[in-house]
Amino acid sequence: MNSKKCVAMLLAGGQGSRLGVLTSKIAKPAVPYGGKYRIIDFPLSNCANSGIDTVGILTQYKPLELNDYVGSGKPWDLDRTNGGVHILPPYQGQQGGNWYKGTANAIYQNIEFIERYNPEYVLVLSGDHIYKMDYSKMIEAHEESRAACTIAVLEVTMEEASRFGIMNTKEDGTIYEFEEKPKNPKSNLASMGIYVFTWQKLKKYLTEDEANPSSSNDFGKDVIPAMLGSGELLKVFRFNDYWKDVGTVNSLWEANLDLLNPKIDLNLADQNWRIYSRTTGMPPQYISDTANVENSLVTDGCEVEGRLDYSILFENVTVEKGATVEYSLVMPGAVIKKGAKVKYSIIAEDAVIGENAVIGEDPAVYSSDDWGITVIGDRLTVGKKAVIKPDRMITENVREGEVK
Amino acid sequence: MRTSAVAGIIFANINDNLLKKLTSKRSFASVPFGARYRIVDFSLSNLVNAGVSSVGIITKENYRSLMDHVGNGVYWDLDRKNGGLYLLPPYLTSGTKRYTGTVDALNGAIDYIDRCKAENIVLCRADSVANIDIGAAVEAHIEKGADITFVYHNGEPPINNEETIYPTFGNGKRIKEMKFGIKSTEKTDYCIGVAVISRELLMSLVTEGYEDGAVSFTKDIVAKNTDKLKIYGFEHKEFVRVFDGMDSYYKASMDLLNSDVRRQLFNNNRPVFTKTRDDMPTRYGTKSEVKNCVIADGCVINGTVRNSVLFRGVTVEKGAVVENCILMQETAVGEGAQLDNVIADKNAVIGEKMVLKGTPEKSFFIKKNQVL
Repeated sequence: MNSKKCVAMLLAGGQGSRLGVLTSKIAKPAVPYGGKYRIIDFPLSNCANSGIDTVGILTQYKPLELNDYVGSGKPWDLDRTNGGVHILPPYQGQQGGNWYKGTANAIYQNIEFIERYNPEYVLVLSGDHIYKMDYSKMIEAHEESRAACTIAVLEVTMEEASRFGIMNTKEDGTIYEFEEKPKNPKSNLASMGIYVFTWQKLKKYLTEDEANPSSSNDFGKDVIPAMLGSGELLKVFRFNDYWKDVGTVNSLWEANLDLLNPKIDLNLADQNWRIYSRTTGMPPQYISDTANVENSLVTDGCEVEGRLDYSILFENVTVEKGATVEYSLVMPGAVIKKGAKVKYSIIAEDAVIGENAVIGEDPAVYSSDDWGITVIGDRLTVGKKAVIKPDRMITENVREGEVK
Repeated sequence: MRTSAVAGIIFANINDNLLKKLTSKRSFASVPFGARYRIVDFSLSNLVNAGVSSVGIITKENYRSLMDHVGNGVYWDLDRKNGGLYLLPPYLTSGTKRYTGTVDALNGAIDYIDRCKAENIVLCRADSVANIDIGAAVEAHIEKGADITFVYHNGEPPINNEETIYPTFGNGKRIKEMKFGIKSTEKTDYCIGVAVISRELLMSLVTEGYEDGAVSFTKDIVAKNTDKLKIYGFEHKEFVRVFDGMDSYYKASMDLLNSDVRRQLFNNNRPVFTKTRDDMPTRYGTKSEVKNCVIADGCVINGTVRNSVLFRGVTVEKGAVVENCILMQETAVGEGAQLDNVIADKNAVIGEKMVLKGTPEKSFFIKKNQVL
């Protein structure tokens, strides 16, 4: 096996419990995004476009759909004889085995995989962010500074800072302190969950961390503080473009509609930085005589006879005559029947919204302060004329005329 | 090793002259159709949806775009160790000329036919679009113990397509007689360029025919032996369009605006596969007005588009009005331009406020890469 300069390890085991019904059957990185993508397309495409051809994907929660989706890695050009994409679930050895206890433990359990490629650097990524990033520049910066670890950071507002892992740095970008969700942040440099490690250093700290029974085996909580404590050189790498965590229903909805916002710079049509995805053999979309489509993204397999505004239709969605979809995401295979109104909602895969049903509401119209995005779970049926109020998460079929 | 019971052969250049405007730089098989496909996608998908895993594409000229499109066959799952996709251009070493007819072409592909080891071969002319259940045709072929089975359709025939066979049936769909060149606009039975034949019979008919100087496999060999050979018909009842000129190409494209046609052509159980391009979804801007259109991914529409077919990556700027048009990959329509009955080949650029109008009978044609 030829050695590789850098191997990427993609943490894709998270349950994404804050996405509720959207991740009840699939891992978060497999959640659909932007009409024809899944969240994992972003780190995978970034790897491919950055010249990283060896990627380990660490899975453990509901991996079936994700495994299926990644397959041989072909859509991302990661089907390689030497390297390529590898799904790495927890496994049993002679001494038994364990689930991945934390992010660091997940990498620790796969030291053997990494060693096969004898890399100088290991890039650790997470599978729940939407962004386009040239990792090769970050690796270059890491190499130049001879740091043990380089952490990608984003400037956030001071108010937001207490929701993130914050890096306190000297002027030259050297990290002297890491604070997880600080109440009184000293800096606004938030960790993006993207790390470049010098492999020999990481291996040492992972081994020590594993031997420490009180550790939670987490990069942010344990490994990074341990490295700082031992006086290792840790640097930040500043990132200034679009980046969004899609860990909650609201942020997932927002990150999708950002694609329709002309003020936001997330261009998926960029020929020089394509975001690849696995596509199926869907026919082109059809927009009928009765349709009215504005400010929306529509993809292959869709049939639109109704009205769309500020919405994203994923593959194979049907919007029937007289139906209205506004400020909403309609995921693959879902059907919006005649006269139904869908506003500020996420309709998950293959759900069917019955005739004249009303889903969600415009916050400007809804007087109560418990407004939020409504979510209809996958494969569910909402009966005719049913009404689903804002901020509901529907996990069971809804009968005709029912109000929820 | 188990080999597939059925192999496919696609003729990529048959009737190139019928769509001259679109085939000056490409084979008939690689003519774009239906917003995101090439004509060959239908033949290839029909074959692989019937479980065929070895396909040879016979081509004689202009095959660069075809090679670029089919690649190693991965989009049709034809990148195989055992079987797979074979492009069969003429051998120029043996002093032969380019193919003059199907006998010549099949003789040039005789090594492929010999080695593919399939029991039956499905021959497909890439000059039509249809979603054909080839599996059922092969089954009928075997059940009847046929020598050759031709897939036919009852409808308005492609009168300018001279390869088209008009069968006369006897008992049990046995073809008694085969005619060519019927110029009738009445509904009639006509073969749609797909036939099933046993490999051994194909080998012997081609080898003998080639020695006897036969040119057309159907006209000079099959049609002359309807008494000796057991030839049967298998009816394809759903949508088909065998091209016989630019107007039939335009018509077939507009047929896609009909939901029954789409349902028949893009049958969920037999999807049509094509090369993927990783475009983002199509983006409709504020004040975009789109009615009755078939549209591929990767378009950006800020103007008005009616009754049209847009291929991948087409842009329509503000105030532009596009009606009854076929705009191929990456066509750019400038602000305020007006297009009616226009067929634009790939990468055409239509400047601001340009007015281009054809008629339903004769559409205005814009060449590949042309800037207006």
